[in-house]
Amino acid sequence: MTDTPRETRVLDAVVSLVDKLLDDFDVVDLLTELTERCADLLDIAAAGFLLADPLGQLRLLAATSTQTRELELFQLQADEGPCVECYATGEQVSVADLGTATSRWPGFVPAALELGVASVHAVPMRAAGIVLGSLGLFGTRPGELSEADLLVGQTLAHIACVALLQEHPPTPSTVIPQLRSALTHRVVVEQAKGFLRERLDISVDEAFSLLRRYARVHRDHLTDVARQLMTEPSSRPALLERMTELAHD
Amino acid sequence: MTLFSIDAAAISLIFAGVTSGTLGSSGASARMYDELQFTFGEGPCLDSVASRNPVLVADLANANDVRWPAYSPAMLEHQIRGIFAIPVVLAGEYVGALDLFRTKPGELHADHLAGAIVAAELAGIPLLDLMDSDLQAAVNEPDSDAWAELNALSRTEVSQATGMLVAQLGVEPAEALVRLRAHAYATSRSATDVARDILDRRLRLDAD
Repeated sequence: MTDTPRETRVLDAVVSLVDKLLDDFDVVDLLTELTERCADLLDIAAAGFLLADPLGQLRLLAATSTQTRELELFQLQADEGPCVECYATGEQVSVADLGTATSRWPGFVPAALELGVASVHAVPMRAAGIVLGSLGLFGTRPGELSEADLLVGQTLAHIACVALLQEHPPTPSTVIPQLRSALTHRVVVEQAKGFLRERLDISVDEAFSLLRRYARVHRDHLTDVARQLMTEPSSRPALLERMTELAHD
Repeated sequence: MTLFSIDAAAISLIFAGVTSGTLGSSGASARMYDELQFTFGEGPCLDSVASRNPVLVADLANANDVRWPAYSPAMLEHQIRGIFAIPVVLAGEYVGALDLFRTKPGELHADHLAGAIVAAELAGIPLLDLMDSDLQAAVNEPDSDAWAELNALSRTEVSQATGMLVAQLGVEPAEALVRLRAHAYATSRSATDVARDILDRRLRLDAD
């Protein structure tokens, strides 16, 4: 362990990982690095990403070690265990003393204890409202993970999701059109502010708040609402009516 | 058209899904390649406007990528292998595309794509001119600078005022921007100043 404050080491890990995401990266390589960062930052023995296959079966994607002993830990969890439970519920799982959890996972616990595991934790990997899998964290000593520890684990799991879902690493051919598209979105949002300023006789700032509120209430994207308002004259009256109601709420 | 190792280029406009056609081209063949899309009702310009993204086809002869059942074979007959379409955006609306045609198959080099996007961006200004014939004289002035104009028209105040004009005049955003710009020319003021007056309700433009 170094003397560098942990906040600094966490930020350093996040910056370094996101930096890799912004360039040409290999997904397995990046996720392996993520598990290593996890083990280091949380002071645990092993970490691994288990991802659900199309049949809902968890499969090991990356882990801190390729030693058979540790790999076995993850693969033990075919039917039960902290990662399986985390995946099924979408909630964090934390067991400070694995010896107390035999009745919870009668198959997994004795085998894991035999492998020298004393504490287990799992945080979910989520995207688009679904659980993709989980990040399993295994310690050789009993002990809780603090709120801060779990937040670090969850942050790294989020980065893993972004890496997984970014099907193709960015290239100049994909980046420039995306930037252009983002700038166009902004133009349309500004137009929509002006449109509402005129129609509802409100300030530009009030118009922006109203647009954002409307998008949130209707679980829609701000830019999609603005684009609909500006480019679909036929849907304007109904949209304006709903916005007027919202403004008077 | 040696700039992008491109053999032909054309700009086509699909405005409000109603009017459509080729506006400018590097030559008669480019115009023909472009117009064939409107004959068949399918092609790169239509797809790039619909998807709001560039459409990049490295090789039309690739049997695994049969994109346009009628348009692709027609282009292959004209010895065209690569087609690249970059959307042209005007006042936030996707109004058309810059279509590039190449006789050799292959990906468009990243630098060339970046160049094509710049060209598509600049194409918005002449499109504005076409929509307002009164402005031709002003635009033909030697000191007119498309870059400067592009920057001026992409300012926040101009977009907001465009939105107000859409509400006031009952026109679409591109036309509202044309009106704002025309007023700025006619009164020798900057587009930003005119936009601020509209936003502060010191100025109203009359409906036609």
